[in-house]
Amino acid sequence: MTPFSGLLFFYLLGLLLLPAVVLGLLEKPLKHYGLLFTVVMLAIVFGINGQLHLLIVFYLWQAGLCLICSRLKSPSRALSALAVLLSLLPLILIRLAVFFPSLGMFGLMGVSYMTFRALQIILEARSGRLRRIPIFTLSYFLLFFPAVSSGPIDRYRRFEDDISAFLNQEEYLRLLRRGVFKLMWGAFFALGLSTLLWNLWLSPLPDKGFLPAVSYMYGYTFYLFFNFSGYSSMAIGASYILGVRLPENFNMPFLSLDIKDFWSRWHMSLSAFLRDYVYTRFVRSCLKNKRFKNPRTASYAGYFINMAIMGGWHGFTLRYLIYGLYHGLLVSANEALERGWKGFRPFRQKWWGQVIMALATFHLVSLGLLIFSGRLI
Amino acid sequence: MKIENEIMAILNELTGAEAGELEPALDLFETGLLDSFGVVSLFVEIEERLGVSVAAETILRDEISTPEKIVRRVKRAAEC
Repeated sequence: MTPFSGLLFFYLLGLLLLPAVVLGLLEKPLKHYGLLFTVVMLAIVFGINGQLHLLIVFYLWQAGLCLICSRLKSPSRALSALAVLLSLLPLILIRLAVFFPSLGMFGLMGVSYMTFRALQIILEARSGRLRRIPIFTLSYFLLFFPAVSSGPIDRYRRFEDDISAFLNQEEYLRLLRRGVFKLMWGAFFALGLSTLLWNLWLSPLPDKGFLPAVSYMYGYTFYLFFNFSGYSSMAIGASYILGVRLPENFNMPFLSLDIKDFWSRWHMSLSAFLRDYVYTRFVRSCLKNKRFKNPRTASYAGYFINMAIMGGWHGFTLRYLIYGLYHGLLVSANEALERGWKGFRPFRQKWWGQVIMALATFHLVSLGLLIFSGRLI
Repeated sequence: MKIENEIMAILNELTGAEAGELEPALDLFETGLLDSFGVVSLFVEIEERLGVSVAAETILRDEISTPEKIVRRVKRAAEC
């Protein structure tokens, strides 16, 4: 069973969200039922898929690491690095299945998103900002069902604030309305438009030839947007009904004026996560230790590392690695252009400059997604 | 006043803004004056000059989008 697809799933979702709606309208706290909802949905979905035992082991592994790290007084750098590595281990093993097929048996739906949630707790525990986190909140955060299979990637402190906040009837009703709308809008995108694009545009295209590849590039770009943003929207909608405001994941990405703008509009929760936990940490360390003669070099190196990780996170295959490096190159070139060409900002402010930049960005992004799709490599 | 003056001085150096351009309520991200690298440089400089450390993961873009918001955020960190 795949979350947010199929009639049986939506029937179960509607049925099990009903008590949350009643509690919300009665101004009762939602977090206890929210965790029960999460456990029941996970048990059903992962149980049907025969992965429940793997999920339990994975949860115990990650929760154990998080609890240990958040209870250590001042974990050393080496200990934190070990915890990060151990947290990443299941994901790495699963990704290595492309080279060692027997590792495929560990394949667990949603492992990458749940790993990100655990990682941020481990990283923040090291800097002393998360101490002795309650096991209830930790479990609810790690397993939160709506975002289990396709994000968005939430932040612990934001999540904790949401589940502790009191919502009066009017506030909940507003959230409920938006949640239901987002669920329906997301279903229209992911199950309607993206399926139509796949069946009517992408499927009939011949496998070889230049023009079919160009057509595939455009079709796949729209297909992926409607599919991914649709699933994100449904996850956000379901979370609203549980009183949790999962962060947005897409914000009209095809109107981006440059590649940096694109990454603040496409899969926003992933790019913000990598910006905060990879790019920022790397650049800060370089600046403080004066590792590069020109400080900007740290930024370019940071973008390459960031994007290579983003590519590798999708899978350890050549196309994802090239996709990551391609975007590392684009973001660095974007920054170099911004700094080196005085006319960049004035050009960006003119309407015709914006049209040219949006079109160029769209085509660069589409080419990247063609690489991502695996049709070329 | 020390924090305000120092932050404005750092922002002027980092953004290369023209005199008087950095209004307290000016959106530094929308105007393209501050980017991810600028944010890291800003807080590294603040740490070096003012001794106030603000962790990147705890900063929301909304909290530091204007000079006056940056001052407020740094003052809050200094009080902790």
